[in-house]
Amino acid sequence: MNQNNLEALFKPENIAIVGASGNPAKAGYVILQNLIRKKYPKKIYPVNPGEKEILGLKSYARLSEIKDTVELVVLITPSKMIFSVMEDLDRRMQEKNDVKAIVCAAADYGETKTEEGIRRQEALISTATKYNIRVVGPNCIGVIDNESMVDTTFVETGVPEARFGPRGGVSFISQSGAIAASILMIGASQALPVRFNKFISIGNMADVDFIDLLEYLEHDDTTRVIGMYMEGYRDGRRLIDTMARIVKKKPIVVLKVGRSEKGASAANSHTGSLAGSDRVYDAAFRQYGITRVESIDELMDTLQAFDKLALPQSENLFVLSQAGGPGIFCTDAVSKYPFVKMPGISGETRKKLKESLPPMAVVCVPEGYADITASATVTNHAQSLQLLLEDDKVGGIILITVIPTFLPKKELAQALVNTYSNSRYKYEKPVYFVIMAGDYVKDIRETLERAGICTFDTPDRAVNAAKNMIKYHQYLEEQNSGGECL
Amino acid sequence: MMLKAGQLLKEVIASGRNALDEYEGNQLLTQYGIPMAETSLCRDLAQALEAAGRTGFPVVMKVLSPDILHKTEAGCVRVGINNEAELQQAYQAVLRNARHYKPDARIRGVIVQEMLIPGLELIFGVKKDPQFGHVVLFGTGGIYVEIIRDVSLRLVPIKVRDALEMIDDTLLSPVFSGARGKNYNKDTVVSVLMALSRLVQEHPVIGEVDINPFILYEDGMISKGVDAVIVLDDSKS
Repeated sequence: MNQNNLEALFKPENIAIVGASGNPAKAGYVILQNLIRKKYPKKIYPVNPGEKEILGLKSYARLSEIKDTVELVVLITPSKMIFSVMEDLDRRMQEKNDVKAIVCAAADYGETKTEEGIRRQEALISTATKYNIRVVGPNCIGVIDNESMVDTTFVETGVPEARFGPRGGVSFISQSGAIAASILMIGASQALPVRFNKFISIGNMADVDFIDLLEYLEHDDTTRVIGMYMEGYRDGRRLIDTMARIVKKKPIVVLKVGRSEKGASAANSHTGSLAGSDRVYDAAFRQYGITRVESIDELMDTLQAFDKLALPQSENLFVLSQAGGPGIFCTDAVSKYPFVKMPGISGETRKKLKESLPPMAVVCVPEGYADITASATVTNHAQSLQLLLEDDKVGGIILITVIPTFLPKKELAQALVNTYSNSRYKYEKPVYFVIMAGDYVKDIRETLERAGICTFDTPDRAVNAAKNMIKYHQYLEEQNSGGECL
Repeated sequence: MMLKAGQLLKEVIASGRNALDEYEGNQLLTQYGIPMAETSLCRDLAQALEAAGRTGFPVVMKVLSPDILHKTEAGCVRVGINNEAELQQAYQAVLRNARHYKPDARIRGVIVQEMLIPGLELIFGVKKDPQFGHVVLFGTGGIYVEIIRDVSLRLVPIKVRDALEMIDDTLLSPVFSGARGKNYNKDTVVSVLMALSRLVQEHPVIGEVDINPFILYEDGMISKGVDAVIVLDDSKS
């Protein structure tokens, strides 16, 4: 099918919602509400023969009655109505030939594996194919594009639009609608609610699938990092080949489930039984520089780090902690990853650190670590950060602070912004700020995040993001050096 | 006397079998530069004595029969044969046991194999995945591989960098970095993995390969594979 038609999915000229509803408890209402709230700048056409007007918009009885151009159709009607909706779409296409994409949010199609479900999916796909219309779904929560202000989801995050951060470079593809919805909601619950770039729930993949979307995002300039939740795909090799090509341009972070799956049942050898399908996926991810994460937290943190921070230029990660316990916790977490190094810094930096810090401070014991102690002032925080940023041996820094009540948190936030995000180092070295004080520091974390700083709840979460960035950096380096000898 | 890889595989297919026997597997891997325990196929006692003389005692003796899968249980394997007298005695015994175990078993001969001294036991393998095609495997070998599951996989073809990373993926990584004063070389592992990758690229009909154990020695001694299982892929490709 035609790759260009995906453009209408993200940047449609007007949208019709078949199954729009005046009942706030229904998905057909929330979709409309989300589009209105997002201030989608073009026309929205609700379609529902039982309504005259919904949320102030005129409701149409049929798709074919809309006079204006409609490029995107969202289907949220009960699936048994698909046959009559497709007949009507056929009528419209004979006359206007304008629809280019369908988001079929409704479920009860092919995924049920019943004869009726499969018949419905076939009705949808055969009409779409006839007119070269691309279909997302069925059985999905839809599509978001925060550039064109398209939102066909029925996810209600409860967070007002104005509180969200600016549109980031993270685009996300989810095979599960429920995971997609919870990722949107978890994103909205961050210190600075996350505004994704593009967001696609692909459901049954009856037409548009992982590869179509990956290829679209590959060429989408505002997408800087791609996130994926996946369960499986029918052509793993082609998927991996596609990802391997894209990963050289932008990172891909995958949460894949199915690890617990039993090894191949018909294995003749040890190798056969040891090389189950998930293990093969895992190997492919490692081999081609694709970042596999183990949890939703790691997924969110890694995507944010890739989007907001400079890619590290070395494996050297310095741990700068304002307290002993969290510092040791962090060092332990770092030591799980042998490819991450805690660097020895220059004698001059050591000397300057010692001079500037309280006498109790521990500097470079062990190497790559400093504990500036709970008595550290705002200036101590900022100065030690500055000194480490200036040291050539330091490729990245995890800065941990617990913020005791006697440390003025607003001043601290301002000092960190001045030292880091307003300096050239923001573009050279990643700094992962761990602010370990729960809701007490939510306000200053928001301040930091608005200034483009990445903050984390706990040291281990920062370490996960940091090691994923380092691994990706190493992969790109190896690709570029390309040395092949034996 | 040694058949070329392609010819060997063709003959196995022509004979209606879907797996290579131990001797054929050994031959095929040797051709690809994978060091295997020295193995001779003998038709009579004289050949067996000659083979043992060539290889040097102690040796292992096994009956080669497509109809006897569990050789040890059938009494068709003898290890630690130290001299000609023991060899003569073992030769009669394994054949007698084979006839007793399965009177109509087809017997291709008796294998005389170099008996390797203990070393670091590794596993190398290949599997054709229905979605991804061939994958190579490396890890901790021995009889408990499926319990310990300390293995790493990569899709074929692999690069040297991939082979080195596979070592690092396993618990054996520090062993190759000189743990406990041992001096194991990564080069052997890398070259076996590269050879397996090349083997299945050139002969995609191969469905599975298992070399377990492959015995690795410290620098200065030639490491070798012991048992090789090679299964052909039923589906055409």
